[in-house]
Amino acid sequence: MSVPAPHFPLAARGSLRIRLLAGTLFWIAASIAVAAWGLSSLFREHVATQFHAELKTHLNQLTAHLAVDGEEQATLSVPLSDPRLSLPYSGLYWQVDALAAEGDSAQARAARAGLLRSRSLWDSVLAVPPDAPADGEIHQHRVAGPGGGWLGMVERVVRIDEGSGTAAGAAGAKPAARAFRLIIAADETLMLEPISRFNGALWLALGILAAGLVIAALVQVIVGLAPLRSLRAALGRVRKGDAQRLEGQFPAEITPLVDEFNTVLVQNAEVIERARTQAGNLAHALKTPLSVLANAASGKDNELARLVVGQVDTAKRQVDYHLSRAHVAATLRVAGARTPLRPALEALLRTMRRIHAERQLELLLHPIAENLAFRGEEQDLQEMLGNLLDNACKWASRHVEVAARAESGQLLITIEDDGQGIAAADRHAVLRRGVRADQQVPGSGLGLSIVDELAQLYGGELSLADSPLGGLRVVLKLPAVA
Amino acid sequence: MRILIVEDEALLQKQLADALRTAGYAVDTASNGVDAHHLGDSASYDAIVLDLGLPQLDGISVLKKWRAAGRAMPVLILTARDGWHEKVAGIDAGADDYLTKPFHMEELLARLRALIRRTGGHASAELLCGPLTLDTRNSRASVNGQALTLTSHEYRVLAYLMHHREQVISRSDLIEHIYAQDFDRDSNTVEVFIGRLRKKLPPGLIETVRGLGYRLTAGG
Repeated sequence: MSVPAPHFPLAARGSLRIRLLAGTLFWIAASIAVAAWGLSSLFREHVATQFHAELKTHLNQLTAHLAVDGEEQATLSVPLSDPRLSLPYSGLYWQVDALAAEGDSAQARAARAGLLRSRSLWDSVLAVPPDAPADGEIHQHRVAGPGGGWLGMVERVVRIDEGSGTAAGAAGAKPAARAFRLIIAADETLMLEPISRFNGALWLALGILAAGLVIAALVQVIVGLAPLRSLRAALGRVRKGDAQRLEGQFPAEITPLVDEFNTVLVQNAEVIERARTQAGNLAHALKTPLSVLANAASGKDNELARLVVGQVDTAKRQVDYHLSRAHVAATLRVAGARTPLRPALEALLRTMRRIHAERQLELLLHPIAENLAFRGEEQDLQEMLGNLLDNACKWASRHVEVAARAESGQLLITIEDDGQGIAAADRHAVLRRGVRADQQVPGSGLGLSIVDELAQLYGGELSLADSPLGGLRVVLKLPAVA
Repeated sequence: MRILIVEDEALLQKQLADALRTAGYAVDTASNGVDAHHLGDSASYDAIVLDLGLPQLDGISVLKKWRAAGRAMPVLILTARDGWHEKVAGIDAGADDYLTKPFHMEELLARLRALIRRTGGHASAELLCGPLTLDTRNSRASVNGQALTLTSHEYRVLAYLMHHREQVISRSDLIEHIYAQDFDRDSNTVEVFIGRLRKKLPPGLIETVRGLGYRLTAGG
């Protein structure tokens, strides 16, 4: 059953780092923006409240000082204290409009606007929108200022009883009372300037904070993902054959993964070992009856006997070939295999000296560096070298020489003999399955082709040449462990 | 020459035993590791043919136990396991040769002959002693080129003496090496075989060393 792979957007699927950073950066940006907006509007509200509170203070002062003189003209009993009110176009203004009585003409109405004004207004009059606050109410408006900018403004309506000479906001004034509209206005820049100063400082502070957070997030991602890098390095060592399992200290979140992976490695090795054992058992189970058949038929001179001997020989070669193939197929899945070369060669030469004792050969192993190692299974190395050495021993008349060295990540193992060699034209054919250069020497056909196949599966190669000794020179190139 | 065959497959064991008896050897057989170890440890064999996949105790363990106990007889491993790592393991456990199944009986016989010969320090398949020649390849003895007609027991006595020529061989040693385990032994028959051989051979070739045994010598 196949489970479809979950589909992530490309960037998120491509990089855990980008995935983590994108989330963090989004949140940093969002919270900085919300903080900036929140703080800025809080401050704006605060400044606006203060601005209007100050305007109201001036309005109260204006209300307190407003009086109506004997000619029924509104006057200020005392000038307002703020010096800005005396400075032309200073930005702070007051104005008193007389409210129109019933039946006033439009001309009269216009004349009543700007009845009294602060000196700061000079000769301009604030054009306030028509409004009629009830007694005691203070209304706020925005109006165009004399300089063209906008002014924030507060107003209230005051009724003064004729003759009393004092302002009274009291309700239920007599019809004879005169009503005035008292206005205090101030340039909004007075309010906006501290806000923009505050916003400047706010953005600087938040910018520094954001930069700090981004750096912290980057460091966190790099430090947080560092174990993944060391995991990758550990895996690389396993793949290269420097280690049999994942080694090193990993965080609690990764340790289960590492443990599982190591278990898989062990199981893998076990499966291959089992497969090999079973292949060996199969060989045993088949070859013993084949031996019985061959022995029963040998020495008898009839057609059946010849048939049996011939077929047993074919069967043996088939079994050998396919067992070797099965072995090869099972081989390369074992990760982390490393086989020192020298002990393997020495053991094989010991074996060759015994098996070919009758031939009284001189087997010479040239000095081999201690640290040369094959990146692969010991059994496969022995299989390749064993077949090559056995071949050389079968063909040699007296001398077999073995040498090995490392060259750019490869092992070069040279096996030479002083036998009759293989003609250059036949060398290619010898490497093919089951072709024998000489039927007289049993088993020599399969050997070279299996070695060639094994070597190729390991990414190496087998090459045949003439030896200075007079016979065949075989060079086996295999991956080395650095 | 006495040989132990250790093979758990009955048919193959019989074929081996028949072929070796035909070639003039006294043959014992064992079908499992425990019996094999006991026989190899208690009797004297000139060579052992050892299978590796055995019931009760595997062949490599049997071989290691023999070698650990100082038993030095030549051992030829005969097995279906033909991986080189298995051959290396077999040789390193103390085997002297390794032959994989299926095998040709002639090759097995040749390798056994060579093993026995090398153990006695002989380089050639033809053993010489004065006018006497023993060709181990076809189990024939001849004097000055004239073939001798020998019974199987006479041949075994002569072959053993030839492999150990110029050495004094005790009567019990001779008995150990010419009879299989289950054979009814009678030391007097050895004297009978020696007597018959002396009649067929030139005089003086087989000496009696009083109280010790016999010696085959060319310098008589």
